[in-house]
Amino acid sequence: MSDPLGLALTILGLLLAATVLTALLSGNAAVRTFVIALASPKAAAQFALRSELTINPLLVRAAHWPLIVACGASAVLAVQLLLTVAAAGDSVRFVSDPLTWFEAGKLKASFTFVVDPLSSIMLAMITFIATWIAIFSSGYMRDEHHRPDRGYVRYFAVMSLFVFSMCGLVLANNFLLLVGFWEGVGLCSYLLIGYYYDKPSAAAAARKAFLVTRLGDTGFILGIFLLWTLGGWHTDLTALFDHIQKNPPDTAALTTACLLIFCGAVGKSAQFPLYVWLPDAMEGPTPVSALIHAATMVTAGVYLVARCAPLFALVPDAQAVVAWIGGITAILAAFIALAQTDLKRVLAYSTVSQLGYMFLALGTMGAVAPVFAVTAAMFHLFTHAFFKALLFLASGSVMHAMGGVIDMRRFSGLRKVMPVTHLTFLCGAAALAGLPLLSGFWSKDMVLEALQLGAEGSHPHAGSFYLLLLVALVTAGMTAFYTFRAYFLTFWGEVRTPEEAGHHAHESPAVMTVPLLVLAVGAVGVGIVAEPFTHWFSGFLGHTPALQLAGRLAGAADVAHHFNWGLAGVSTLLALGGVGVAYMAYGTGGPERVPAPLEPVYALSRNKLYVDEIYYALVVKPAEWLAFMARVFDLFLDSLARLLAAVPRFVGNWVRPIQNGLVQFYALSMALGLAVFLSFVVFRISR
Amino acid sequence: MYPTFRILLLLVVLLPLAAAVVLPLCGRAARRVALLVSLLHLGVTAAVVLGALQALALRGEHVLPGRDVTSYQLFQPEFVPGDPGVGGAGDGATGRTRWTLLSLTDAPVDKPGPHVQFFIGVDGLNVWLVALCSVMMVPAILASWVAATDRPGGFYGWMFLLQGGAVGAFLSFDVILFYVFFELTLIPAFFLIGGWGAGSGRRDAARKFFLYTLAGSLLTLVGVIGVVLTNPDPRSGAITFSLPDLMMNVQRGLDLAFGEFLSGNPGPLAAKQDLQFWLFVCLMAGFMVKVPVWPFHTWLPAAYNEAPVGVTVLLSALLAKLGTFGILRFVLPLTPDAAVAYGLPAVGTLAAFGIVYGAFCAYGQRDVKLMIAYSSLSHLGFLVLGLFAFNTEGLSGAVLHMVNHGVSTGAMFALLAFLLDRYRTTDMRQFGGLMGRYPGFAFLAFVLALASIGLPGLNNFVSEMLMLAGLYDARIPGMHRPGLAVVAAVGILLSAWYMLTMLQRVFFNPLREPPATGPQTPTDLTRHELLAFGGLAALCLLLGLFPQTLIGPMKADVAALDAIGDLARDRVAGRRPDLGPPPSLNTTGPTGPAPKGKGGGEPKGKGGGPKGGGGMPPPASPKGE
Repeated sequence: MSDPLGLALTILGLLLAATVLTALLSGNAAVRTFVIALASPKAAAQFALRSELTINPLLVRAAHWPLIVACGASAVLAVQLLLTVAAAGDSVRFVSDPLTWFEAGKLKASFTFVVDPLSSIMLAMITFIATWIAIFSSGYMRDEHHRPDRGYVRYFAVMSLFVFSMCGLVLANNFLLLVGFWEGVGLCSYLLIGYYYDKPSAAAAARKAFLVTRLGDTGFILGIFLLWTLGGWHTDLTALFDHIQKNPPDTAALTTACLLIFCGAVGKSAQFPLYVWLPDAMEGPTPVSALIHAATMVTAGVYLVARCAPLFALVPDAQAVVAWIGGITAILAAFIALAQTDLKRVLAYSTVSQLGYMFLALGTMGAVAPVFAVTAAMFHLFTHAFFKALLFLASGSVMHAMGGVIDMRRFSGLRKVMPVTHLTFLCGAAALAGLPLLSGFWSKDMVLEALQLGAEGSHPHAGSFYLLLLVALVTAGMTAFYTFRAYFLTFWGEVRTPEEAGHHAHESPAVMTVPLLVLAVGAVGVGIVAEPFTHWFSGFLGHTPALQLAGRLAGAADVAHHFNWGLAGVSTLLALGGVGVAYMAYGTGGPERVPAPLEPVYALSRNKLYVDEIYYALVVKPAEWLAFMARVFDLFLDSLARLLAAVPRFVGNWVRPIQNGLVQFYALSMALGLAVFLSFVVFRISR
Repeated sequence: MYPTFRILLLLVVLLPLAAAVVLPLCGRAARRVALLVSLLHLGVTAAVVLGALQALALRGEHVLPGRDVTSYQLFQPEFVPGDPGVGGAGDGATGRTRWTLLSLTDAPVDKPGPHVQFFIGVDGLNVWLVALCSVMMVPAILASWVAATDRPGGFYGWMFLLQGGAVGAFLSFDVILFYVFFELTLIPAFFLIGGWGAGSGRRDAARKFFLYTLAGSLLTLVGVIGVVLTNPDPRSGAITFSLPDLMMNVQRGLDLAFGEFLSGNPGPLAAKQDLQFWLFVCLMAGFMVKVPVWPFHTWLPAAYNEAPVGVTVLLSALLAKLGTFGILRFVLPLTPDAAVAYGLPAVGTLAAFGIVYGAFCAYGQRDVKLMIAYSSLSHLGFLVLGLFAFNTEGLSGAVLHMVNHGVSTGAMFALLAFLLDRYRTTDMRQFGGLMGRYPGFAFLAFVLALASIGLPGLNNFVSEMLMLAGLYDARIPGMHRPGLAVVAAVGILLSAWYMLTMLQRVFFNPLREPPATGPQTPTDLTRHELLAFGGLAALCLLLGLFPQTLIGPMKADVAALDAIGDLARDRVAGRRPDLGPPPSLNTTGPTGPAPKGKGGGEPKGKGGGPKGGGGMPPPASPKGE
């Protein structure tokens, strides 16, 4: 099979089938009935009325197979898809025939998919990483067999849906369909972060993740409809971009629309000021964090902006906003990561920071050629997926061995206990720090180069790119420092393990270490293979029609990627400097000692700049207060309505004495009334 | 075939009414009989809906010319019992009835005139609402299955009367008949809340509900009579109670007045629009209370909370829709200019405020039932916005949202029966960690809650997107529609806020539960619960994935309303309708056979034609700019 659309739809179908199959293994009768009802309501009714509602526990233990098989097969198909698309030559795009979802008046949403280099490379990355995470999960989650509510099935069903939604997201060619998968990804992250539902912190983190991303999505949806009005009432991405290319709308309106779309990306990709959900998201099982941070979810925002390059290329102001948000996020998150004591939290903030890097690159879209900017961002996304998945899985392996403890103050010297985990973590850390020749080095260098070229260009915001280049370089140094701080604290020094780990903390089983090794090879080698000498990545991505269109719209000249010795030297120095400082401070494996003058800075970083507290005071509290006031006001409204309703009774009470039954009184009042009336008439006439 | 469907349609109305009479005699067996009747009703409705889909598919995108004396855009009911024609659409069916209940004239009954008729029928706008009435009855009965042990005959009898009233109102094409059914629903609701309610405040809640809605709907009656009296046939001067005829009269009158306006005499149009304003206010009074629109909602929390949960299902799924349906069926076509001029600016502002206000109130509640009650206020505010957007996207979305909201919110209420049957409370503070205790219940609650917050793939997303699109389609100058769209979108966000907070409190965290009612430990979903609530949850997903099944059949009727809206917008803006959109009234003129009351393309003044004896009030200050 070499039809690209067929391959893509097969991948979607496989993942959906995995979701359904896993759901059917669920011990939850409602879930099974629900799934059956979608196929045949009659069968579902029969099932609900007659069948045995429980399920064989042995089947439950096999719940990981559908996901692993589907992901593995998808990864193979995705590679084939990649090759097919690469073979198809320049400016290649396959759009499936639209199948109406809903349509009324001028609004038409349809199921339609697009395969081009951008979506196929995302697809390959997602399925490849997800396969190894799935295999790792089957080992990591083994303890869940014994939980009475069979969380094991729930975990793998939602994971399948997660990967399915993410693949759908990168393939969708209709904005409303994209929103559908986009929210599907959000839902799955909600369910997975809240996987340990009886843990209050997990429950709070899950809700926070959903609500904060939803805040961004509100802007996203408003942006889509604004684009719909600007872009000839199209919601299909390809048609919309073509229309906008032919009839460029008012710049102010398009800037608004782009910024609103960017809101969605800010929420999903955890950028300032909506990044707060991502560090909390590690409340879920660690493989989930790996999936969220590396392959799915957070990459969706970067992908969205890359996909909308033909829009962003037209509006320099929006590009500047993207770049600035990216820069602020990069340095802010790196600063917070400096002093975290929780290993996973360090990694979480590093994800936020690295995503900021990607947006920095995307922001230079109009200043350098969009193809180059998007390639830099996507390449960083690509390499980051490998080493971040690796780092999270390795820390999951640590957590598994430490009996659920992830606080770096409570263990050290694990390199002797867990040699494989240690080695693979080192590979990931070195790649993240940007040590020369590793994959992170090449992609980071490309981002820096994009910024430098942007600063030298004639873009209206060229000046700010200089500043942002500086920000990116400082961030690079900080990244190397905090990554190796975590590494030294965890793996160096004398062996200490918490009591939760038991007496014999040991290396994880092969089902967990093999994925680590595979990803470690990727983290080390994928960068040097894909880009600096072969130019496979940029050459392939450069064939994306949307990016070529963006290039024509931006009017920027094509920039060939050439290795920049000066920048590479500076970033190497910074990375090595960061590692060196970390070694000097933490080479003994802790405990951590902070020099007195740095105490306040340390506290600031440790307490995450008090952002959560600020948000609580500025957003959460007022909202709760408003809710309380609304409740009080509602009581007031109710009593107002009652007051109005009491008027007739009150009037009745007031006039009732008149009806006293005394005929003399009636006669008197008649006479008096007549007298008043007559005198009035007489008075009027006589005037 | 076609005549059979007329009988079936009659059954759809009469079956619940008959059941209401019979059930009180059934005693202990009442709940089984009730379930049987509701399933039978579901079958009959399914047959009618299937038939209607075929009939409606014949109409296509535009209203077929040749069905009526002019080319005016009308409601064209199908399956009208008592239709003098014998065949199906285009085969002699006139879409009118001969079954006159009361005639105000000596003229023959089969001529158009002031007859109150038993005029019911199906069209694209009501077909899904009738289906909703039938579908929601089953979970409403199953939700009462355990709880309603006190006088079950009476209880289920009143339930069916409530359903019959709602179905009748949705099907009516005679304004008086509509009003009768509309008010008929009040009586069973009053007795159900007051007689079978759970809390101590049930009498008060019932009284408040009754008086509040009655006060509103009496004004609506004034409005209805006003519309009838002020819109006689421009030629014969006869008044009519038939909704399609009334629509035509309104359009004709406005056309004539607009013709005058374009030839330099703004008086008649100003007078008409001024009158429309007052009729609009009267009509809206009842509908706004019924929906409810902020600030006329204060009966809602008490009534929803005090009513037995099965009744709350019907109140939220059916009764609330009567108000929005009234706007759709009466306000928009009968007072189009006022609906354009005051709909979004005045009512829309209130509704938009209600969206945010309802969401905050919902967040502030400690009881799940009250929270869902307030969430209705928020969702229905959005619906009202969609209606008054008065264009194809907004109207399709609004009609769809009536169904979607009915299913998802009704199902949410029904699902509460699970907790009420086991613990006799829905207080959030007493629950926690139910996901582990009742995984099946938790799953269904999650699906319904996610449907309610507009998750794509589930039903509410589609209708919310359509209404949002309707609000973006800014065809009225000087209207702050994007502002309203922003408020509506924020409403979706806020709905996620309170819903997820509820889910977090009830289903996450360590297990906490109040003492159970029975001696034995409560178990997860029983089979009948699984069937009732699981079916609704699956319906939410199906409606979200295949919404076009619902949108398709309503196209022709929505197009008719959209055309009316376009003309009204032109009149309000005082501009010549130079655009010729295909479904527009003016351009279809030549295709209609022998237009009697109307000149061809341009609305020419008919020489100051007779405005009839309906009593045109003197023009006051020109309004409706």
